[in-house]
Amino acid sequence: MRRVTPDTIAVVDLAVCDRCGLCLPLCPPEALHLELNILTVDDAACTGCEKCVAPCPVGALAMVAYA
Amino acid sequence: MPDVDILVVGAGPAGAVAAWQAKLAAPELDVVLLERDRAVGAPVRCAEGVGDAGLREFANPDGADWVSRRITDVILESPDDTQVVLANSGIGWILDRTRFDAYLAAQAAAAGAAVLVGAEATAMSRNGDERWHVRVTERGREDLYRARIVIGADGVETMVGRWAGLDTRVPARDMESCAQYVLQGIDFNPNAIYLQFSNAIAPGGYAWIFPKGVGIANVGLGLVALKTNGHNARQYLDDWVARRFPSGVRTGYTVGGVIVHTTIKKTYADGVLVAGDAAHMINPLSGGGINNAMKAGRLAGCTAAAALREHDTTERRLASYHKAWMEVLGEDHLKYYRLKQALEHMDDAFLNSLARTVNKVVPEKRTLGRVLTHAMIKHPLLIPVVARFFV
Repeated sequence: MRRVTPDTIAVVDLAVCDRCGLCLPLCPPEALHLELNILTVDDAACTGCEKCVAPCPVGALAMVAYA
Repeated sequence: MPDVDILVVGAGPAGAVAAWQAKLAAPELDVVLLERDRAVGAPVRCAEGVGDAGLREFANPDGADWVSRRITDVILESPDDTQVVLANSGIGWILDRTRFDAYLAAQAAAAGAAVLVGAEATAMSRNGDERWHVRVTERGREDLYRARIVIGADGVETMVGRWAGLDTRVPARDMESCAQYVLQGIDFNPNAIYLQFSNAIAPGGYAWIFPKGVGIANVGLGLVALKTNGHNARQYLDDWVARRFPSGVRTGYTVGGVIVHTTIKKTYADGVLVAGDAAHMINPLSGGGINNAMKAGRLAGCTAAAALREHDTTERRLASYHKAWMEVLGEDHLKYYRLKQALEHMDDAFLNSLARTVNKVVPEKRTLGRVLTHAMIKHPLLIPVVARFFV
């Protein structure tokens, strides 16, 4: 499942994120974590599949070029 | 390092009932119920509707302060706003979840469970002593709990299941993205819930009006992102509310995910049980999960208590929980899931004509079963024997 070098990875806009947790079970490599009220993306695990982006009810997730 | 028999993660309906019932079944056990948020029941991520019969297995709603509204009618709406008033839909309730969840947690506490708010489980591991070591952060302080059984009632995120190695992931087609406002000063029948089905309004789901009082309602929708035009749930809701209730005052909003999947394949592991939303125990057709969560919590609490008395917390012993759940509701959910899949293909033109067809039936025979029968002309084998809405 893991691509060697994904072109893009997910990023969270914490000003928009409502901490609802919807995106966590959608992530195939389980790269999203919600801990102590902060949603984080594990850059090393994210495969850039984008499955978390559209379902976010408030649009807090987006893909960016992997630096 | 606190040593407990049962550590319940999450004080929603599943977790609170699990702690309560475990303590009732085996009062000698140490049971701790953890709530991550600062208050049990808040923030509300729920439309708060529940059926009467299932609710009464756990709590009496008559005159209870955790009830917002008694519901006697169900009104289905097609994309063009044609209304179908269902006959014989049964009785339902709109809860006040902040009070209801606190009530259930208080029952657990009265039975002898310890309830901790603002206490978040952040990791857990198995260390060869037949205990789970659970890291818990409470007001900036970290504690390591040792628990013989952990009950994961941690909702849609279901971290306990993940830590225990269970597959709790959800395919995108089975995740409803939901947004909801509390609207005040709006006009509707306060004794009815309204469900509007339309691919333009809420693709892959439905929009709802659930009354909390006269002129006040939870107004929201759930959709499947794969079917949308690129807008998110909140944008779809803004469009719908602007059309339906342009003068409604928004006094609250919430968002969240509803998993309309079948129960996870394995809800148990050595020293672990998973219950409620965390185990995908929501009715995949209606999206209702409160009564299911309480039933699962009761099974989990009783199974955990019995297993501890037998000094056997292996997954072989705990497998009876999964079997019992599948017999109570899990198998039904498989049927509802197939029905949901069949209904997904109805377009808005068909839904409009369906509403008109059903409205030709005399009002007292206009049941949910009748609506589904007309809807499922091409899949008659999928028509379940459901005549009432609130099951």
